[in-house]
Amino acid sequence: MTDSPRSRIFARVSRAQNEADATTIQRELEALGSAPTADLPAADISTAFLTNVLKNQGTVDCAANRSSAVKSVADYLYRHFRSHRLVAGNDPHLAAMPWREAGVLPRFGGVEPGEAVSLSYALLGVAETGAIVTVTGKANPAANNLLSEHHLVMVDSTRLVRDMEGAWERIRRETVKSGWPRGINFIAGPSSTADIEGKLVYGAHGPRQWHVILIGDVPATALEEARALAGQLNQGTS
Amino acid sequence: MASSDGCTSLKQTSNTFLDNAHEALQDAGKVERRNLMAYYMHIVRDAAVDQFGHFEDLRQHVKQVKQHSLEHLEYYLNQFEQAALQNGNHVHFAEDGDQLNSIVLDICQQHSARRIAKGKSMVTEETGLNDYLKRAGMKVVETDLGEYIIQQAGETPSHIVGPALHKSAAEVRELFFAKHDLGERELADTGEMVSEARRVLREHFLKAEVGIIGANALIAENGYSMLVTNEGNGDLCANLPNVLIVCTTLDRVVPRSEDATAMLRLLVRSATGQPQTCYTSFYSGPRREHDIDGPLETHIVLLDNRRTEILASDYREMLQCIRCGACLNHCPIYAGVGGHAYGWVYPGPMGSVLTPLLTSLEQSKALPNACTSCGRCAEVCPADIPLPDLLRDLRHDETRQKLSSSRWRLGMRLHAWLARHPTLYHAVTGLGIFTLHLLGRRKGSFASLPLAAGWTSQRDFPAPEGKTFMHQYSAMHREEKAREHKAAQALEQNTKAGPAAPRRTAQGRTPARRNGTERIEPSLRVDWPRKPDPRKPSGTRPRREGDDSASGKKPAAHPGGPRGKKPRRRPDHD
Repeated sequence: MTDSPRSRIFARVSRAQNEADATTIQRELEALGSAPTADLPAADISTAFLTNVLKNQGTVDCAANRSSAVKSVADYLYRHFRSHRLVAGNDPHLAAMPWREAGVLPRFGGVEPGEAVSLSYALLGVAETGAIVTVTGKANPAANNLLSEHHLVMVDSTRLVRDMEGAWERIRRETVKSGWPRGINFIAGPSSTADIEGKLVYGAHGPRQWHVILIGDVPATALEEARALAGQLNQGTS
Repeated sequence: MASSDGCTSLKQTSNTFLDNAHEALQDAGKVERRNLMAYYMHIVRDAAVDQFGHFEDLRQHVKQVKQHSLEHLEYYLNQFEQAALQNGNHVHFAEDGDQLNSIVLDICQQHSARRIAKGKSMVTEETGLNDYLKRAGMKVVETDLGEYIIQQAGETPSHIVGPALHKSAAEVRELFFAKHDLGERELADTGEMVSEARRVLREHFLKAEVGIIGANALIAENGYSMLVTNEGNGDLCANLPNVLIVCTTLDRVVPRSEDATAMLRLLVRSATGQPQTCYTSFYSGPRREHDIDGPLETHIVLLDNRRTEILASDYREMLQCIRCGACLNHCPIYAGVGGHAYGWVYPGPMGSVLTPLLTSLEQSKALPNACTSCGRCAEVCPADIPLPDLLRDLRHDETRQKLSSSRWRLGMRLHAWLARHPTLYHAVTGLGIFTLHLLGRRKGSFASLPLAAGWTSQRDFPAPEGKTFMHQYSAMHREEKAREHKAAQALEQNTKAGPAAPRRTAQGRTPARRNGTERIEPSLRVDWPRKPDPRKPSGTRPRREGDDSASGKKPAAHPGGPRGKKPRRRPDHD
């Protein structure tokens, strides 16, 4: 311990700075306040979230309740694959969905290579960035976010937070019991790359398509408004 | 040092920067592509910054957090280490590149690993990890598409964010035909090439025993590391193989999760113009009890490689860098000559500062000079690093260490001496300008001039108008003073009582910038001729003791000194 790379590095770091105790450091840090966040594209949080999902090149749907959410998944699968095959994590929310109503019977577990569609139930949705948040674990194995071609995500409208600070606040509060997860993933769009000549291509390593279903009480015009806003904003920036 | 003992793979060629640059300018196609990128990247970045709304506030906030973290690095590094250990990681410290490489190799060998999937990491480029592992018989595959392309081509990154942007789609197509044994196929567009790389790399992901990634931030409060990608390749590396190794540097530590995501807001907008990358992930350690995937064992290797030296030096601000590449995208030199000319891992303005600090100034003395002092890099730097100042300070170090040519130093000494004798300076420049004016009056410009061939070989030198700037400036000054005097007299007559208006307003005050309109206050002008020419450093700068122009202990001969110049904003001339 006395003469290890670690101790030599710490000694050099220590020499480069003034001493301060933990309380002073904490006080100094708190005095810095919090970071400004991005403006939301709409006052209503659902509309803002949907707008940013669309701007991230995701596709969206709204479902008033669990029955219509299941139906939305079935429609999506039929539209793209003419099948009802789906992999979902062992999430109690997903297990409790009325799958039979729509004739979909997911396989619960982790995505195996070659399986095309996965479904996740998001812990949170972030309006500021149009991202959904999942945590690794039995309920959503990491492979389910990454290995499929199409990644479907359900988000409950009561689980939307305004910004990333709001996301951390919830994660901190809610993971106290279960302990911090191995991984926390903010996902904002299908996998993409611009590494060849700066041209944007979707489906680099992860899913090529990213579909978000917002469940619950959402203003009737939210989706329409979000499409208009995303269209307008896209024209304004690209 | 890692770079000198032959163990690192990337041979540094910074010492031949001028030749490299000259060569780079010969390829017209690549020059055109660089111009296009430089043009395009400004637009996307500016749009993203504008849309955010309060970018400057964000920038200042994150800068303060970074400075706070660096000021208390010992505390936060310790906190991070404890949290990371508690999360079940193995934490290693490496003083230089060789140590990092050998730590990583040891881990791979302990697991009898043969196949390694690697996410993008500039730190491992810096240590030459790939070649080191390859020599030990490992199959290392870069999985970021850009890194994969240059790895297949046997090249080095030309950009810290888009490492293969120097290659055309046609070149990538040829490369894939040569490297992938996949039979007859078209690869007609970028989409098909991406798909092919996806297919080839997916195989490798599924077979790899070890994943290696970098980190964009380390969070002290909970021991997580932040990984930012668009492709999701880093996440595959972090989740599929049984062993995960995170290679990063100790200056990445920030106090809280919120600080990492605040930095993310700056990083992504500055790098690609997106509001958020597709994948922003926080990983804490090995698989938990009921998890069905994720690595079984995780290691974090924290590299120093002279960063503690930088921390103790006057170049500490460079450690605020978040590696977004905005300074590259906005640098006219980088746009002109491209990343490879810089001859090491980090190109552009940030590289011209980092390379001398991480390797040696002797090996890279051309880099601090590869700067027009235009100031765009400092303007767009999300970490608010005064890059042109740091580059000038490095040039100053070169002069002090006698690394620049003796002729150049003699010229500098002459200039410094002259600049310290204002009367003589004005006489000499006045005479010179007047002579040039007389000689060039007819044509209006010079096609060649003695001692200025570097200028006139490329363009004509415009003939001066006859009077120096200072001549015109003093004339204006006198006029205004006379006007003020008159006004003061008038005022005195009007208000018979009261103290006389102060003739000379307080020297140090700068009320010039009120209400957004800039007006040069007459009192400020008095200082002008005494200041050293800002383009030619002549003041000595003691190491350490950041901004102390006002402390008064500096030698009077060098008022201000290069770093002492208070407002670091870019001067609006040039």
